[in-house]
Amino acid sequence: MGFLRTLQNTADGAKALTTGARITMRHYMGQLLKTEPLQTVQYPEERREQFPRTRWRHVLTRYENGLEKCIGCSLCAGACPARCIYVEAAENTDEDRYSPGERYAVKYEINMLRCIFCGFCQDACPTGAIVLRKDFELADFTRKDFLYTKEMLLEGASVIPLTAVGTHKEAVK
Amino acid sequence: MPDNRLTQTEASLNPAVTQMVNIKIDGIELQVPKGENIIESAKRAGVDIPYFCYHPRLSKGDAANCRMCLVDVFAPRRAPDGTVSLAKMPKPQASCTLPADEGMVIVTDSEAVVRDRKGVLEFLLINHPLDCPICDRGGECPLQNNAIFYGAATSRYTEEKRHFPKAYPLAENVVFDRERCIHCARCTRFTEDISGDAQLGFLKRGADMEVGTFEHTAYKSKFSGNVIELCPVGALLSRSYRFKARPWDLHSQRSVCSKCSNGCNIKIDYRLDSLQRINGRINEAVNEEWTCDKGKFGHSYVSSEARLKTPMLKTGGEWKAIDWTEALQILVGKLRDANGSVAGIGGQRCTNEDNFAFQKLFREVLKSNDIDSRVEGYLGSVNKPLYERFGYHAMGNAIAELEDMKTILVLGSQLVDEQPIIYLRVRKAYRFKGATVINAVSSVPEDSPKVGDFAQLELVYKPGTEAALLKGILSVLSAEKLASVNGFAKGYTLEKAAEETGVSAEAIQQAARLMATGKLAIIAGREVANHANHLEVVQAIGDLAEATGNAQNINLPGEDVNSQGAADMGVLPDFAPGYAPLENPGKNTAQILQAAADGSLKVLWVAGAKLLEKFPNRELAQAAFASDTFIVVNELTMTETAQAADLVLPAASFAEKEGTFTNCERRVQRIHKAFDISLEIKPDWLIFSEVATRMGGGGGSFFSARDILKAISAQVPAYAGLTAKSLGDEGVRWNYPDK
Repeated sequence: MGFLRTLQNTADGAKALTTGARITMRHYMGQLLKTEPLQTVQYPEERREQFPRTRWRHVLTRYENGLEKCIGCSLCAGACPARCIYVEAAENTDEDRYSPGERYAVKYEINMLRCIFCGFCQDACPTGAIVLRKDFELADFTRKDFLYTKEMLLEGASVIPLTAVGTHKEAVK
Repeated sequence: MPDNRLTQTEASLNPAVTQMVNIKIDGIELQVPKGENIIESAKRAGVDIPYFCYHPRLSKGDAANCRMCLVDVFAPRRAPDGTVSLAKMPKPQASCTLPADEGMVIVTDSEAVVRDRKGVLEFLLINHPLDCPICDRGGECPLQNNAIFYGAATSRYTEEKRHFPKAYPLAENVVFDRERCIHCARCTRFTEDISGDAQLGFLKRGADMEVGTFEHTAYKSKFSGNVIELCPVGALLSRSYRFKARPWDLHSQRSVCSKCSNGCNIKIDYRLDSLQRINGRINEAVNEEWTCDKGKFGHSYVSSEARLKTPMLKTGGEWKAIDWTEALQILVGKLRDANGSVAGIGGQRCTNEDNFAFQKLFREVLKSNDIDSRVEGYLGSVNKPLYERFGYHAMGNAIAELEDMKTILVLGSQLVDEQPIIYLRVRKAYRFKGATVINAVSSVPEDSPKVGDFAQLELVYKPGTEAALLKGILSVLSAEKLASVNGFAKGYTLEKAAEETGVSAEAIQQAARLMATGKLAIIAGREVANHANHLEVVQAIGDLAEATGNAQNINLPGEDVNSQGAADMGVLPDFAPGYAPLENPGKNTAQILQAAADGSLKVLWVAGAKLLEKFPNRELAQAAFASDTFIVVNELTMTETAQAADLVLPAASFAEKEGTFTNCERRVQRIHKAFDISLEIKPDWLIFSEVATRMGGGGGSFFSARDILKAISAQVPAYAGLTAKSLGDEGVRWNYPDK
């Protein structure tokens, strides 16, 4: 009976192989003859569409009038489990206004090497200033370059706020 | 994270316990003193009652206005037939003013109470802007906490909130956000009960009510910083800390204030290497929980840009930054060349460890007794004024003991500037314990608060006539047979004293009568310490104290943070550590400066003493600094004294080193290192120790501050047995062996 079982096993194996090979060959031929779309993404020439709730690179957003949403409250730093956010706040004046209200972030730094992309900062933010967006290509060459400053994180403004001058202007692309 | 400062109770302000009563709180049976506030009893039982306006150190006068501590109360009621039954009070009661009585049953978690708290919070939040994300109090805010634990999740109020301009400049150091105020009256009660200036009060009524000074003048106080910590919301804020950090950004380190000799316990809140704010730390024996504005706002120098970060050498009138190797090489070379012609001044702002290493270096390595820590007027033997007669040097009383005095004489002192925490005790003795305060000064400042505001009697004498005034008082005591004067004021009459001092004879008589009524404490200040005839004045003070039977109640507190410790550590020309007399005493500060001015001194080492700024004989100090003497200064910044030196060594501030300070009442307290500004900045003891090592060691080489503390406890009798551990959080007050 040992021989019969061996024969049976061989037949089963051959069947499984041909089943798999048939699927592979069907898609291969389909793509070769262009009857079905290409599955391989030709990175970096092309990029796959990210899922809507993907959490990657942080961005500090602005209001429509160009003012920063961030008020420098440091709640993101408090919520951060990796302790990778550093915020220093200062007071807005009428001559030099960055955000609505009294307070804005004069320094906002994220240590990307420490960040675990949990999105708690986005959760904690009372003004929706910090959001994690879909830019996932964050590799760099030196450790220092992973320290993202406020200028790097702040999104470009379509409108230059009337009251924003000085350093603020440079951040506006 | 800062601890919750609202949970202290101070037993001494409650009425004396006469009777215990049985009460029940949430089913927990307990015995409490009759008349105790239920909110305090609940704390004993571990039952949480939320509150805003209640504070154990403030009087209950305007309190019970936040209505947060409401509880249901059932009290026993006797029916006409004699049966006793529990009857519920028809409305909930404020537990912060409800005295405990026999058989009371308190319910803190009934449905009605829970609903009431929600309602109270909803009302409080109607006009509160809820701008927690940008509020400095956010994260350590009692209103936030109570709203989360006891409040409703939503509000039904949809109308426009009350609006005021933000950051109203209330005081020099305090800004006021009127929108956030919940009218708890803690700040107003503080100014009335504790600091004594009574400047803050409520203006207007109802929803328009706001805290302010009358006529909207500036709030000028020496203790304004405390209202920031007292405020249960973010209405009163520190101007310097505004927007600097959130509580969770900060690290906190226990320390002792370095601004005066009172030794307030503080917390240094810092971020990276910069000091952000100073908060009071509770020590019932010293500062209770208060701080003065000098201590709370005066420490910005620690993290300032002006801090020295390398040794500086003056060559040809120009300052040049050099490294430590070079600096020590130059210094050691100069010390070797001087061949014993060296002297040291200073140490009052340094720790005990620094001072111990300082005198070790001079006595055992450089073989010179010419060191002195004192920069005040009197530079004779420290044993002369008080020790030889009464057996103690500076303060006979502990700070807390001042509360128990019947009469307190403040002599020649702007107490609130010189000894702010002693001032608060004197004020407390007056306000809560019924003490009578007599203020004798030569000039009365305009500003407030000051002792004169609440003194029963103010004697304004001509400058320098303290002894005459005291002798006048003694002559009255003698003439009216109020005390046995032992002929102390022989040849003095009331008329003569009145004429010399310019104080009316009646006032002197009144003062004498007040002093004869009971326990009297005498606190003498700067005018006495710098008096030309210091010994004569202290003699007169001693006579008065002895005549009235208060020989142990004389207080001559030093002024700098470690004046006491520097003397204890033997940074004196005639005493080794622990006041052991030396066979061949060295020169005192004035003599050292004279020697430098004469050109007979080769090297002068100044350890943080502000000679040009503070020494009474400024001409002598200037002459000494202008001479050829090589002058080394340990300093934090380029002060006037440092500018005039030849070599300046960057020393660590109190926030950057370990060690102990001894405050004016001889309490040895630990300071802890919070952060490093720069690795090139060294604590003073390390500088002395490194020089000692390069000079050949001897007893002057140490490895750590703790190492030095061990040596101190082994070699200084008064400090025997003190270890870093035994000092704990509150410090230890050392006593004279024979007392």
